[in-house]
Amino acid sequence: MSAATPAFELPTELAIDTDVARRVIGEFIRSQLRQAGFERAVLGLSGGIDSALVAYLVAEAIGAERLLCVLMPYRTSSPASRTDAETVVARLGAAAEIVDITPMVDGFFGSETEASPLRRGNFMARQRMAVLYDRSVTWGGLVVGTGNKTESLIGYTTVFGDNACAFNPVGDLYKSQVRQVSAAIGVPDEIVRKAPSADLWPGQTDESEAGFSYPELDRLLFWRIDKRRSVDEVVALGFSPEMVARVDRMVAGAEFKRQVPPIAKLGPRTAGVDYLYPRRRPGSERG
Amino acid sequence: MLGRMQSVRVGLAQIAPRLGLLEANLTRHHELIDEARAGGVDLLVFPELGLTGYQLQDLAAEVSLRLDDPRLAELTRATKGLSAVVSFVEESADHRLFIAAALLEDGELRHVHRKLFLPTYGLFDERRFFAAGDVLRAVPSRLGVGVGIGVCEDFWHLPVPQLLALDGAQILINVSSSPGRDLAATNEVGLGTATSWRTLMRTYAQLTTSFVIFCNRVGIDESISFWGGSEVIAPTGAALFSAPLYDEGLFMVDIATADIRRERIGLPLLRDERPELQVRELERIIAERAGLARDATSDPNAEPGLDVAPGFPVPRPIGFRKKAGG
Repeated sequence: MSAATPAFELPTELAIDTDVARRVIGEFIRSQLRQAGFERAVLGLSGGIDSALVAYLVAEAIGAERLLCVLMPYRTSSPASRTDAETVVARLGAAAEIVDITPMVDGFFGSETEASPLRRGNFMARQRMAVLYDRSVTWGGLVVGTGNKTESLIGYTTVFGDNACAFNPVGDLYKSQVRQVSAAIGVPDEIVRKAPSADLWPGQTDESEAGFSYPELDRLLFWRIDKRRSVDEVVALGFSPEMVARVDRMVAGAEFKRQVPPIAKLGPRTAGVDYLYPRRRPGSERG
Repeated sequence: MLGRMQSVRVGLAQIAPRLGLLEANLTRHHELIDEARAGGVDLLVFPELGLTGYQLQDLAAEVSLRLDDPRLAELTRATKGLSAVVSFVEESADHRLFIAAALLEDGELRHVHRKLFLPTYGLFDERRFFAAGDVLRAVPSRLGVGVGIGVCEDFWHLPVPQLLALDGAQILINVSSSPGRDLAATNEVGLGTATSWRTLMRTYAQLTTSFVIFCNRVGIDESISFWGGSEVIAPTGAALFSAPLYDEGLFMVDIATADIRRERIGLPLLRDERPELQVRELERIIAERAGLARDATSDPNAEPGLDVAPGFPVPRPIGFRKKAGG
């Protein structure tokens, strides 16, 4: 691979000003911590680009010494992922801990052989969430989310698993934009270049599973959602009607994952309905 | 009254108010008033809801101030020797909550502007929590010029700056809590919101041949970040000063009031405005949109407010059908 090969494909319409993005995100991270009365943060570092970027952003915002990176491999996780995660930790100089989730996961499923990869994958994501929330207490830091906009929109997340967090600095960045900001902030090149994967089994990649590339998917989501283009209009832009229909279905089907569960309205004032306060309000700091 | 000042030192208090913490924000206002006075500022402008923060929701009723509130009186007294525009949640006698901006001058409360246009779309939900003001007035200032105040969205409606200028304002002041969004790299300063506002402010300054002072907050409320970028624009439409994006600070800019006369003599747009024409045509349009008059120039099947008819007949609900033979 020559040095001139771009590390990733960035659709023109998705290009953002990474200086402004880093500035806004840095302020956001500091503000979220300050309002909650915390000075430290904790996140799960997988070796993939999303959590690597968030680690860099948190380190830039509050200093690497206030960040705990938790590596939570399962026995089938790729050794390359762990190497990449360790590279991030070493480059940043952040605190790190390795928690092997194999005993937790295998202890639950035991000899149940018919458990599908989906069930296992979701369970792993929720074990990792449980570990992070425990470390939130021992480290004294807020759990920072690492999910991006693309996976949130199509529902490629585990509810109460990888989408559980105190706040998310990159949840409004498409995967292509995650790559753009990652390259700008100095995330190691090999992480920016590699094919994104949930790392649930060897050789798995998001793009082979979904059947379309991230730049293509990001562009479609951008035009459909951010730019409010109709189905006919995006088909005229060159997207296949089949892909548009499939992605629309994925987005609609994942609505529940992006929202707080509804509460049956019974009393005079109900949280989220007609009891509406800022999440962080006067008096909400940790006592 | 000092008479006509030759030069006015404008102070832009581009601050990050703390959400719901009225006392902390009041303290910050007092500090900045002192700092501005020491720096020779004549007119100090704070952003929209600088005393309360923006994303208040149900906190609005908990931080609201009556105009006779002792804390507002104390802040007013602190403006000895200068003019200041401050913004807060105003509670009226009948318990409506307004987003208000007050002109305080030399220890007196001179004017209160209640936000007229409350955005309730996209990321905004203001009408749920606030009442809209009904009055738009330019007021004389001790600075020797007429001042017109608008709050954020007020300046996304064309008539507001024009009415203020026709009513005697020579300095238009917009106080904002504008959330930054659209980071597309194609924007001039990397932010779509900033591009829009910069275009609007230059246009208003030129078309009203007035100074425009735009004070926008910084900091974060919940998910949204406010981008700052406060500006002072000359009556020519040229930017005299642009504050940095996202940085908190007190920025000072000197403006020469003689520039107003120079521009208005050279480019007498205000002299040539035709407010009577606007009133006449607006009365016609209002009647037509309400279905009380026929639009003489529209297609026969056009809906009220639109001149062009669809290419097919649209059935009209009962009560909106034309009378037979009408």
